[in-house]
Amino acid sequence: MDWPAVLPLFLTASVEWVEAFTIVLAVSLTIGWGASLGAAAAGLGTLAVLTVASGGALSLGLNLHVIRFVIGVFLLLFGVRWLAKAIARQAGLKALHDEDVEFRETRGRLSRGDWFAAWLIAYKGMLLEGLEVWLIVVAFSLQSQAWLFDGATAVIALLLVFVAGLAVRAPLRRVPENAIKFMVGAMIVSFGTFWTLEALAGDVWPAGDWSLLALEAFYLAGGQALVRVMRRGPRRVTA
Amino acid sequence: MRAFVKNLFGDGWNIAGVAAIVAIAAGLAGIGRADWAVFAMPVVGLGVVGWLAGR
Repeated sequence: MDWPAVLPLFLTASVEWVEAFTIVLAVSLTIGWGASLGAAAAGLGTLAVLTVASGGALSLGLNLHVIRFVIGVFLLLFGVRWLAKAIARQAGLKALHDEDVEFRETRGRLSRGDWFAAWLIAYKGMLLEGLEVWLIVVAFSLQSQAWLFDGATAVIALLLVFVAGLAVRAPLRRVPENAIKFMVGAMIVSFGTFWTLEALAGDVWPAGDWSLLALEAFYLAGGQALVRVMRRGPRRVTA
Repeated sequence: MRAFVKNLFGDGWNIAGVAAIVAIAAGLAGIGRADWAVFAMPVVGLGVVGWLAGR
């Protein structure tokens, strides 16, 4: 069991699967549900192979400090990006991610009616959106060795999103993506900060694992403060 | 391939920002002041987040 990882992992996966579903839905209108879901399954299969291969390779011969450092830096790269994007969007500096726009753009790319090109768009969409899920699953599982539990958490998120999406047959626009990205970004940066410093300096965090909660509170509160400061500045909304 | 790398690591600014966070932590740990890094790293991390968000 890897309980500290459940929430960030589930939420990260949910957001990414919502974006993947929008692409799969758009492609299904051109090549049908069977082929579109088949392409998504192929993308998912590639991610599963990637997870097993990278997990096996990274677990071999590396000591815990090196693994922690690599994971910490990866999580910082991921979390800093998500938190910065969520802050920029909440402050109005960047346009919110819109599933309807994503859906229309994907439909536009499919206008030529090429079956294989459409299949590839669904495959690539699933693969690229799922890369961040792969990263989080590998990062947390290398630390906890709870591969099955972490993998299952991501798959449960996938099933929930796709079942909901297939039920409404429309982009899942009501999912509060930016709020989730804000929260997950703060969580992931906290894990990245914690593990990177622990790898560099040993057990230095004053309250041990509980320091993670303090870090999360700091990044959440600090992020909200940044939003307030940026809202007062000049507006220049970018896509 | 470019989309793959960008999805994993972000753009050059993102990598530079994280490199700065790690450099601060490594520098302080290197001079035996890891106790300072406990406070400096989150502050620098938030600074990098703010810098990236405002770009």
